[in-house]
Amino acid sequence: MITKLAWKNIWFKPLNTVLSVFLLTSSVAIITTLILVEKQFEEKFSSNIENVDLVLGAQGSPLQLILSSVYQVDTPPGNISYDSAKVWMNHPFVEKAIPLAFGDNYRGYKILGTTTDYLAKYNAKVIDGVLFEKNFEVVVGSEIAKKLNLQVGEEFFGSHGDAEEGEVHENYAYKVVGIASKTGKVVDNLIICTIPTVWQMHHQHKEKPPHGEEGHVHEPDEHEHVEADLTIDEPNMEITAVLLKIRNQMAKLTWQRVIPQNTKMQAVSPAFEVNRLFGLFGIGVTALQYLAYGIMMISGISIFIALYTTLKERESEFALLRVNGARRFQLLKIVMMESLLLCVVGFVFGSILGRVALSMLSNASEADFKMSFDPYTFLWQKEGVLLVVTLLVGCIAALIPAIKAYNLNISKTLANA
Amino acid sequence: MISTKNIRFSYNKEQEFIFPDLYCEAGSTLLITGDSGKGKTTYLHILAGLLSPTSGEINIAATDIVSLSEKRTDRFRGKNIGVVFQKSYFIAALTVLENLEMASWLATGKKHTKRAKKLLAQLDIDNQASKLPSQLSIGQQQRVSIARALINEPKVLLADEPTSSLDDKNAEKVMELLTSLSKEYKAALLIVTHDSRIKEKFINKITLV
Repeated sequence: MITKLAWKNIWFKPLNTVLSVFLLTSSVAIITTLILVEKQFEEKFSSNIENVDLVLGAQGSPLQLILSSVYQVDTPPGNISYDSAKVWMNHPFVEKAIPLAFGDNYRGYKILGTTTDYLAKYNAKVIDGVLFEKNFEVVVGSEIAKKLNLQVGEEFFGSHGDAEEGEVHENYAYKVVGIASKTGKVVDNLIICTIPTVWQMHHQHKEKPPHGEEGHVHEPDEHEHVEADLTIDEPNMEITAVLLKIRNQMAKLTWQRVIPQNTKMQAVSPAFEVNRLFGLFGIGVTALQYLAYGIMMISGISIFIALYTTLKERESEFALLRVNGARRFQLLKIVMMESLLLCVVGFVFGSILGRVALSMLSNASEADFKMSFDPYTFLWQKEGVLLVVTLLVGCIAALIPAIKAYNLNISKTLANA
Repeated sequence: MISTKNIRFSYNKEQEFIFPDLYCEAGSTLLITGDSGKGKTTYLHILAGLLSPTSGEINIAATDIVSLSEKRTDRFRGKNIGVVFQKSYFIAALTVLENLEMASWLATGKKHTKRAKKLLAQLDIDNQASKLPSQLSIGQQQRVSIARALINEPKVLLADEPTSSLDDKNAEKVMELLTSLSKEYKAALLIVTHDSRIKEKFINKITLV
């Protein structure tokens, strides 16, 4: 009954209520979105670098190398010679080496030449069909298969480079032989084939003027024969990067120095680069968080003002409740309840709005970076803390008006009215 | 029934009110009159347990309410004392019926919707039940106040200038309702007033000097 009265009271002055709820909603929405994005962003970034100690690639920006070769979101800094990379790949310190050759794209989804180890690294299994074996056989990531409705046995032509509008390679068609299971990692948004596939696809390009694009694999060799399939043992070929898992702890550090000094390549630690990226990213997140808590404080003040100013006109109402048998404490409860109800409403709306914003953000980042966020996850701990903070704001805002209601002199109020 | 003994009260040291003892049987009516500043409203607030007297006894249904704690007084008042004020107070956000239900819930923990509807019908305002109090005329509002004062079937019904803001016709109607309903519900009716329209009609009178 007290709750019902409080509920009716807050909607009796809809303008005040709407303002307070609106402010609370915006602050909760911002914080919810930040919490979810930060968590999922970090999860995505961290899960993708599991088992990758070093990335071997062309010299240039280390972050660019990591973003391109691990997360597939940037263009690679350049190509490296497969022959010289092999020297390091076969080094006894290396536990596992996964070579990557960037090829074309199909409707904006990257076609990546690699080995089957790449799928194994992400725990992606072929749920439909088989693994690629021959050139031009591809395994399609689960997201792509779903979005483009690709099925085993289908064939398609790739477009050159990483732009969807790139020139279509019509010499060879890719054939889907398998669909990968869902992993929640980058592999879901990749089309995977053998490295010689990428080489062979571009074999004929020599007659045309060079593209000059970075990260695009061209073999420098002047072969004219296209009949025979290229194999992984083809000499003088280029790849884009190598993901290395290193046995020797020291090598993880020394190679980062030794490799750029002695070769045209660099070795970069993804963990280090990702931490650097989070550091940059973190400043923005912190600033937004301060802003959101600022808005929450303003909403607390708005609740306080609303309660405090209406207190005067509601004094007789409170006195009446006391005449009808309400105890002092019940008046305190009404005022507190009004504030807390506003906070709960604001929190619920904010949580929903935050998720709506996240799903919109997810659609945008899906299109641009092939990175999606799940708006339906609940981070009970962090969001629980947010709820407690919101309710605390409500309590503090209502404290003085509630105490005033508690201390109301009924006789005086009724006599002076 | 209600009776008082040696009630004294003071707001400050210079002025002390000494109120005459009074006695009112269930179902009968007592008028408390007097000029402004003689403490009519103060006496009524003391009788309602809204103010504590410095000394004296107030017996309502064999309970001395002066000796009760504040919490118990609130409870006792809700159950046993109905008050009608000069101006009608309502919970603005609740409808007429909800106002009555709230009054009964605060005192007894039950809503007593049936009794509320019956009272509204007796007061001829049952068609206004789902309106907000602010949408009613002053005469109608005063009738709702009477209904609210009677909802818990109190032992004592206190009325503070119930007719002063009403026109003759409404004043007469309100007085008639107050007296007949307090008889029906067996409540002792105490009316504080300086309204000459009422004074003539009652024999039981106390004048504060």
